[in-house]
Amino acid sequence: MRSLCARRTRTISLCAIVTVSLFAKAQSPLADSSTRTIAHGAPIEYLYPEQVTIAAGKPRPVTLHFRIAPGFHINSHTPKDSFLIPTTFSVPEGSGVRVESAHYPDGADFTLPLDPDTKLSVYSDEFAIDTQLVAEHGNHLVQASLRYQACDKTACLPPKTITVPIDVIGN
Amino acid sequence: MKRNTVVLGVVLLLLAVFAWAGWANWQYRKQEAEKRLAAAAAKAELVADDADIPHFVTPLMNKPAPDFTLEDVTGKKVSLDSYKGKAVLINFWATWCGPCKVETPWLVELRNQYADKGFEILGVSADDLDFDDKAKLVEEKHDIQKFAQQEHMQYPVLINGGSLDKPYAGLDALPTSYFVDRSGNVVAATLGLTSKDDIEGNIRKALGE
Repeated sequence: MRSLCARRTRTISLCAIVTVSLFAKAQSPLADSSTRTIAHGAPIEYLYPEQVTIAAGKPRPVTLHFRIAPGFHINSHTPKDSFLIPTTFSVPEGSGVRVESAHYPDGADFTLPLDPDTKLSVYSDEFAIDTQLVAEHGNHLVQASLRYQACDKTACLPPKTITVPIDVIGN
Repeated sequence: MKRNTVVLGVVLLLLAVFAWAGWANWQYRKQEAEKRLAAAAAKAELVADDADIPHFVTPLMNKPAPDFTLEDVTGKKVSLDSYKGKAVLINFWATWCGPCKVETPWLVELRNQYADKGFEILGVSADDLDFDDKAKLVEEKHDIQKFAQQEHMQYPVLINGGSLDKPYAGLDALPTSYFVDRSGNVVAATLGLTSKDDIEGNIRKALGE
């Protein structure tokens, strides 16, 4: 009886292995599609705030939050190579709002798998820029900008500027 | 004995069902991958095959590489057509592209290794150029030249690669390389950093080895 059970256990194990083998998706080091995101859409998104109310005429802190698509990174504000394009935030002149100062987060060290000796300074996932904004009296629909240049582990997208829409109420 | 036969039969039946399900699943994924590849044939992009490995699919494959004439960093005009009879790697890159910088030393080495066999590289910079602002344009050209010197790119370095965006569809990301054989046909293309071995294999293919 014990021997029959043992045989059954072996049979069931074999069935399980066969089943797993048949249904398992063939994988390879390049198979992780998250490492090859380059063909897909915009890699960066402005999250919030959509609206801020600040005292007019005085610098007031406003923290702007952004999200980077999985698999991508962008250069920090202080990339380690002068040829690389830094991430920069700006507000157009004449919008009723100006940037008194902007504090960017430090970039995280990042290395390309095929170049482990070169460290890049990048943002990935989510990051925030701490700004001091000065608003004139009134309601200002500001079309601010974030310029960045994104890459994944093997390729880079051209530099791009996205609009950062913020409704700034100065009172 | 009879019970064992029944158990064995059930197990065999289960195995047959699993095998069929696996085969059907594989067939389905294969057909889906073929559909994706076919749909992508009209435009250049990365497409995953049935094993989920991404490949750069371009409508230029096995077709004549579109001719172009661009200026090099010194202002000299260079046309692809003048390289007929040679195997050519058209390598699109930019100064801001980290992976391009990684592969450049490989390209320099491979160019030196295969030049005697009739191989040349045309390094086409895709850096934006501001033709409306002369001072800025000079500065931008200087940056490209500086990068090329720094990376010892001793092959022709051409500028204004963005103007080839239409004929060489799929320059959305860099580095992008087209391997052209001695008759002027595209025999391989890659998007993104691959490996030196991969590049060498494609060069040999372009050389007809």
